[in-house]
Amino acid sequence: MKNRFIRIIKSAILPIVLAGSVLTGSYLQAFADAPYKTYTVDGYGSVTETQTAYLPYKTITKIGEETLLTPTDFTLVNDEFIYILDSGNARVVVSDMEGEPVMTFGEGILVAPKGIYVTKDRTTYVADRDAKAIFVFDKEGNLTNTYTKPTEAMYGDTLDFLPLKIVANKSGTMYVVCESNTNGIVQISPVEGGTFLGYFGTNATKANIWTIIWRAILTDAQRAKMQSNIPATPDNMAIDDKGVIYTITRGEKNDTLKRLNIAGVNMIETTDYPDIPAAVAAGNHDNVFVATQTGFIYEYNNEGDLLFMFGGSDDGKQRIGLSTKVEAIQIGLDDKIYVLDSEKAQIQIYEPTEFTAYLHNALYLFSKGRYEESKEPLGKVLEMNNLFTYANMAMGKALYKEGDYEGALLYARIAKDTDGYSDAFWEIRNVWLKKNLTWIAILIIVIVVLTILVKFLQKKKNILDKPKTFLKKIGEVKIVKQLCYSFYFIRHPIDGSYGIKREGKVSVLSANIILLIGTVFYIINKYFCGFLTKTVREGNFDVLSDIGMILIALIAVVSCNYLMCTINDGEGKFKDIYCSLIYCFTPYLILTPILFILSHIVSNNEIFFVQFGSICMWVWIAVLIFISIQEINNYTVGETIKIILLTVFTILIVALLIFIIYVLWSQVFDFLQSIFGEVVYRIGS
Amino acid sequence: MAHKRIAKIITSLLASALVLGMMQTSTLPFGPLSLSVCEAATEINGHTFAAESSGYRLYVDESDLSLVVEDKNTGAYMESSISYDDGKNNASWLGAMKSAVVLTMINGNDDTQQADLINDDVKKDIKYTDKGFTAELYWNKYRFGMTLEVEITDDGVKARIPDESIHEDGDSYFIGTIALYPYMGNSYLDSKDGYILVPDGNGALIYLNDKEGRFKSGFSGMIYGSDVGFDESDVTTLLKDRYNTISDSEKVIAPVFGIAHTDDEIAYLAIVEDGEARASIECIPNGVSVDYNRAYAKFTLRKTYTQPTSNNSTAGSLHIYESERSHSDLGVRYIFLSGEDADYSGMARCYRDYLITNGLLKASDTSYKTRVDFLGTERESWVLGTTPVVMTTVDDINEIYEELRSENVTEILSVYKGWQKGGLYDLPISSYSVESKIGGKAKLTKLINEAKENGIDLYLYNNALLINPDEKNATFNVVKKINKRRFELTTYMDVYKTLLYIIPSRSEALLNRFIKSYTQKGVNNLALAGITGTLFSYNYSGSNYTRYDTQASYASTVSKVAESTELIMEQPFAYLWSEAGAFLDMPLYTSAYIFEDESIPFLSMVLKGNMPVYAEYVNFEANKQEFFLKMVESGSFPSFYITKESSSELIYTNSSDIYSSEFSSYRSTIAQYDEKLGELNNLLAGATIEKHEILESGVVKVTYSNGVRVYINYGSEEQTADGLTIGSMSYEVGR
Repeated sequence: MKNRFIRIIKSAILPIVLAGSVLTGSYLQAFADAPYKTYTVDGYGSVTETQTAYLPYKTITKIGEETLLTPTDFTLVNDEFIYILDSGNARVVVSDMEGEPVMTFGEGILVAPKGIYVTKDRTTYVADRDAKAIFVFDKEGNLTNTYTKPTEAMYGDTLDFLPLKIVANKSGTMYVVCESNTNGIVQISPVEGGTFLGYFGTNATKANIWTIIWRAILTDAQRAKMQSNIPATPDNMAIDDKGVIYTITRGEKNDTLKRLNIAGVNMIETTDYPDIPAAVAAGNHDNVFVATQTGFIYEYNNEGDLLFMFGGSDDGKQRIGLSTKVEAIQIGLDDKIYVLDSEKAQIQIYEPTEFTAYLHNALYLFSKGRYEESKEPLGKVLEMNNLFTYANMAMGKALYKEGDYEGALLYARIAKDTDGYSDAFWEIRNVWLKKNLTWIAILIIVIVVLTILVKFLQKKKNILDKPKTFLKKIGEVKIVKQLCYSFYFIRHPIDGSYGIKREGKVSVLSANIILLIGTVFYIINKYFCGFLTKTVREGNFDVLSDIGMILIALIAVVSCNYLMCTINDGEGKFKDIYCSLIYCFTPYLILTPILFILSHIVSNNEIFFVQFGSICMWVWIAVLIFISIQEINNYTVGETIKIILLTVFTILIVALLIFIIYVLWSQVFDFLQSIFGEVVYRIGS
Repeated sequence: MAHKRIAKIITSLLASALVLGMMQTSTLPFGPLSLSVCEAATEINGHTFAAESSGYRLYVDESDLSLVVEDKNTGAYMESSISYDDGKNNASWLGAMKSAVVLTMINGNDDTQQADLINDDVKKDIKYTDKGFTAELYWNKYRFGMTLEVEITDDGVKARIPDESIHEDGDSYFIGTIALYPYMGNSYLDSKDGYILVPDGNGALIYLNDKEGRFKSGFSGMIYGSDVGFDESDVTTLLKDRYNTISDSEKVIAPVFGIAHTDDEIAYLAIVEDGEARASIECIPNGVSVDYNRAYAKFTLRKTYTQPTSNNSTAGSLHIYESERSHSDLGVRYIFLSGEDADYSGMARCYRDYLITNGLLKASDTSYKTRVDFLGTERESWVLGTTPVVMTTVDDINEIYEELRSENVTEILSVYKGWQKGGLYDLPISSYSVESKIGGKAKLTKLINEAKENGIDLYLYNNALLINPDEKNATFNVVKKINKRRFELTTYMDVYKTLLYIIPSRSEALLNRFIKSYTQKGVNNLALAGITGTLFSYNYSGSNYTRYDTQASYASTVSKVAESTELIMEQPFAYLWSEAGAFLDMPLYTSAYIFEDESIPFLSMVLKGNMPVYAEYVNFEANKQEFFLKMVESGSFPSFYITKESSSELIYTNSSDIYSSEFSSYRSTIAQYDEKLGELNNLLAGATIEKHEILESGVVKVTYSNGVRVYINYGSEEQTADGLTIGSMSYEVGR
């Protein structure tokens, strides 16, 4: 029986997990819980906690008896050797995977080496900044080649050659990141003692609207004095088995992490980028790892979706797996993560947990399009964490491919995957329509027949007379009449405004009722519209501040507009301006319910109708507001435009004033409070 | 016996050797001990004979009151001051290394200045008794004093400073902290084989090998957790400038530490008997400032804190110290162990005996049960206010029990969380009012009674510490920090963003009210949380209360509650163990400090066989089979957090961190765990852990009092031990 259980456990665990828990060398492995938390992002991009993805496994602090001095880079070779660039000692130290020494080389040749890359056949490339050269060593550590500054004119005569990081592809072409070279990654071919092939993966300069405006205005001389807008140099890079280059660049926001194909085109985009990236590495499952200098490790899938963030900075806490200054990251063939810390002069190894092993398996199968197979590991992942976004999204897609649209819809919604949701929804709606087409047809026929019947009966027996008189009676009630005036107003705004101004067709009460209904519609539409058109997080409600915003905006617009009108010979009374403004929003009351219903039955393919309807509605409202301001105050078109601009300006000024007063008062209040507080404690003690 | 002993020595040697990598020839500054004749020496390293008991002799050096404790049988000894000076230490360090008491003083804003018995002008009035001595100490310059009482007992030494003897007469120097015998059992670099027992999590060891100066600090843990009454200043690099990715370190659950010199076969277990609620345990390996290994208790009497003078934290603040020191006797009992007992297994046995003899641990029914907890209802935001999210109703629980029975899982202990009206976070609970969505009071009462008939104990969960200001009036009776600012627990969740603590007297009143209305219905199963695993200083209506007050208050509350209920507790601190019917959420790991060499199930070794211990939830473990083996190793019972509905329903609630709990995904896992661990623990039936050792091969061997031996192999390769073959990542039982 026990064996059976062990077998269950064993079969449940991928061999990857087991591969490395041996007691080795000078290290006794204490099984420990990770002292850091692991985070992922939910469908909205908010950070949430998840299971531990990687556990600290081992730390290599010494190579044999030798300690390292500010190592800055390293490479794993076939999971047999670790090539560490011991920069402080200007040499390359080679060890086996357990930290036992194999050889050292490069002493006397290297000056201030910063980057190392070792190919599968153990050819070593070292980027040496102060020697201004790239050194190539063979398997035995003998220097075989040296590449210095390219002589080609295209490289740039005035540019220095200060190589920092290097990778090479299978054909031996070197990609070099150089200090203060903003043209991009330097690409050097080994032929003819080094041929400069050009720049690769150049980052784009960023120009915002202000710089564009400034540049248009300033003279050449002034422009020269402006802070020059040069593209950022990549900070580090990595190459995977297919020769795809990954770069990281600090401060490039969504372009922090790039995955460059052979043409230098970025194929990845991530919104969850790290702030101070230090190194990047390609994983074994089309995944990418980025380590920040502060010790956080980010894992992404091949699309740039964030899977995990974990690790942390050792601010004197002395817990296992925290780093001080990370310089490089590498991934072993067994998915272990190796992180080089230059300040601690050590390599920290992390091993994936069961959870991560399942996820990697799913990642691999999914990226290969084997959706059916990927369902099993995905199911395991979801069993362990129902809310894991990537797994939900992938599961939704897998089920969609299988034709289980209901399931796909459910998973897509948890993952907030709008595309997946839309596709599944389209299919479900399609099925529903097919199934119920007859019934819909019958329903339409019945309605048509009934209408004809009623019309016929009306002709014969006047059956509609009673309801008609009743409706008429209600229509006679003053407030109903005032409310119904809105329908007239939106079709005849000029005449309608006259009615408001001169004929007392509306009252403050009727305007308030419209405001109330409008607010209710706004809230219902905001929180309960279809998933695809929703602009707020599901499960989040902040109704009071919504109402507050509406009221503040209304008060600001109406009062500022009134103020401006009174000093600009406007004829409108406050009440008229208020009522007409509210009545201008009648299209909102009419169209929102329609858009609301539409939002529940459209997929992304038809979402245009909702958006178009919404645009029409706002244009209509804008036109009504314009005309009503013009008519209420008896302005010309020019005057109206002027008054609208003045109103906007006044609102800004008022907001600024209120802000200043608030800040000043809070300062005074704080000051008084601290005096009081201090007096109390002085007396108290 | 002899071969066992040799095996033990070899084992411990090899264990150390493994860590050391290569065991270098010992660089002993003093020669190996050759005292085979165990007559009383008149002097050992400058210490003169003072008293003796049936097992030990006490030697004292009058100049600094440092001690040497000698084992009468073996002649091995441990000393409280360094006997070898490597010449690298300044006067201040030497003072700390030799003095019986080492103080830090508060003088104005400075709270770091040291006072000791060597560097300062101290008047000592030493009186010898037949069991030891008392010394009245007075620091003439700083104008404070205290009386140190040292007494030799049959099993070791007791050092004590009575509260009433501490007097501060000056007005510029005040006592901040007092460390008692900070170098008791010290050793220089790797001059001794052995380890320091660290009360981190379940237990950890720091080996006494040469650390080569790799560590900047050692273990420092406040006994019974850190104090929320004081703001801890802590530099942390945050993820995205917002998320603290570092988990809180484990709390020090029991006030113990120890040092073993395995080569000399002498060890001590230190129990902080008095004043432990405001003491920290420091276990510091060599290389941290000085090259000596040491472990000690440091008592806090006064602490400085930041008093903001306005709500805007940047506007102004004062740095002040507590005007009144905390009052408690301070005492550490060192129980010495020798021969075969001089290891951590011996320490665990010895602590267990100590607890039982002193009535601090009573034998409970320790028969095996699988813990299956349920979550009733939670709440998520809705248009105005919140709406319930029903996860597991009473009917669901019945159904789950039924299904578990069909899987042969019958021995179950359950804790029902979120049963109360308003859901899990409608806190505090002041009466037995059950959420109608899960079935209501009558149904729940019926369920508890019926379950009992079927041998299932269903406990209602009550966190008596927290109050939810969004649901309940929290204007009064909430905990304020010593700087009179309200303590707020930030949840980082969407629905309820902060929770507050209730003051102890209010907790008691509310608990009593709840228990009254609960027991009226004929049921009395209670799982108590919050107050069982938290201690704090606080300010209430103008007065400051210390952790001693909180501890006393909670102790009396819990003992009163225990009278009328079947009480189990979530992570109870050692002072509550006598009332606990079960220990829930026992940590199986440590805080993973880099200076810790080994994690051992010390607390489990103490409690196994006397109190049922349940591990933390299996749900959230990423390495399930390793965790399973950890439970096997420590003799803990498994815990599951179960809901009927999928946990994705909880996404918009405060429990969105429960990402996996659906019964259908755990059904077979529960059955598997129950079968295996049930079978194992039935073999152990009430037996205690006598020995825990890590064999050369890395296999962990646990020997029980009834002779059963459990072998656990965490390695990736098959191993053999005592003729048994243990597969990789699995375990075997030997009889």
